[in-house]
Amino acid sequence: MENPLHHFELHPIIHLSLMGFDISINKAVIAMWVGLAFVFGLFMLVVKNGVRLIPGKLQITAEIALGFIRDMVEEFIGKEEAHKYFPFIATLFFFVLACNLIGMVPGSYTITSQLVVTGVFAICIFVLTLLIGFLKHGFHFLSILVPPGVPKIMIPIMIPIEIISMIARPVSLSVRLFANMTAGHTILYVLFGLAMSTSLMIGWLPFGFTVAINGLEIAIAFIQAYIFTILTCVYIGDVIHLH
Amino acid sequence: MFVYAEGQFSPRHIQMNKGSGFRQGLSVAFRLGTELTVAIIIGAVIGYALDRYLGTKPWCLVVGLVMGGVAGCLNVYRIAKGITIDNDNHNPDGY
Repeated sequence: MENPLHHFELHPIIHLSLMGFDISINKAVIAMWVGLAFVFGLFMLVVKNGVRLIPGKLQITAEIALGFIRDMVEEFIGKEEAHKYFPFIATLFFFVLACNLIGMVPGSYTITSQLVVTGVFAICIFVLTLLIGFLKHGFHFLSILVPPGVPKIMIPIMIPIEIISMIARPVSLSVRLFANMTAGHTILYVLFGLAMSTSLMIGWLPFGFTVAINGLEIAIAFIQAYIFTILTCVYIGDVIHLH
Repeated sequence: MFVYAEGQFSPRHIQMNKGSGFRQGLSVAFRLGTELTVAIIIGAVIGYALDRYLGTKPWCLVVGLVMGGVAGCLNVYRIAKGITIDNDNHNPDGY
């Protein structure tokens, strides 16, 4: 049997290097480009046909999706600030969703199954929240480390705990997406491997499971993209409204 | 083919309440598990790094693990608290 994690390995297709950095083009890079092009192309197609008062099928889809994200942003960030962050959140959602879904196409690559990719997303969001916090509240932002209503004696204990839970945010954000995608695709691989290695008499059973898990994986792709963006909203909302 | 009368259609009018409970529940379920684990791991890593740096094996690791556990429980508690408040506000009849 092959290694079930074999299909997560990346090998350069075109070797490139820039100032000592390895920027070779591999499957993941191409999958990411396809994801970008897909999202961009879809919305360009909507806009190109003209935004109509009576929307066509494509425009309805885009409007429902964007309206759904706008509701989410308004709920967690607040109505006054929502318009500033809406483009970022919407882009994030569609990009993560496209990356997750492209992984479901056989032979392609799930870039969100790389901790590097999700980690960079999460670190960017973490730095963004810190920047927003410091720009908005100045030095007072550090009071996020002291929850309200904490007795003075507890403050030296609470500050390290709060720092840990602050650092845990980007880590859990990235690990959740990475782990769910990796686990799902590994399960698919193992089940399909079982189906292929036995006769048809028993093989139909794991094959049936493969089909079922495939459906589940598509649902997970949506749910994980949703969780990723909703948590980004929660984190941004937290630093905007201190306590 | 769906035809919407003028002005009737707006994304805000489409209430996605039908699957909302299920979706919210799933997102919470996915959150809580990692939240607790990751906080403990972060605490342990910080403790271990401090030990390496200060040469106080194994005390910082112990303190870090406990702090991480506390932080994890606190995170989970906060999420759970947020959910109950959310339910009271948005879904008076509950689900």
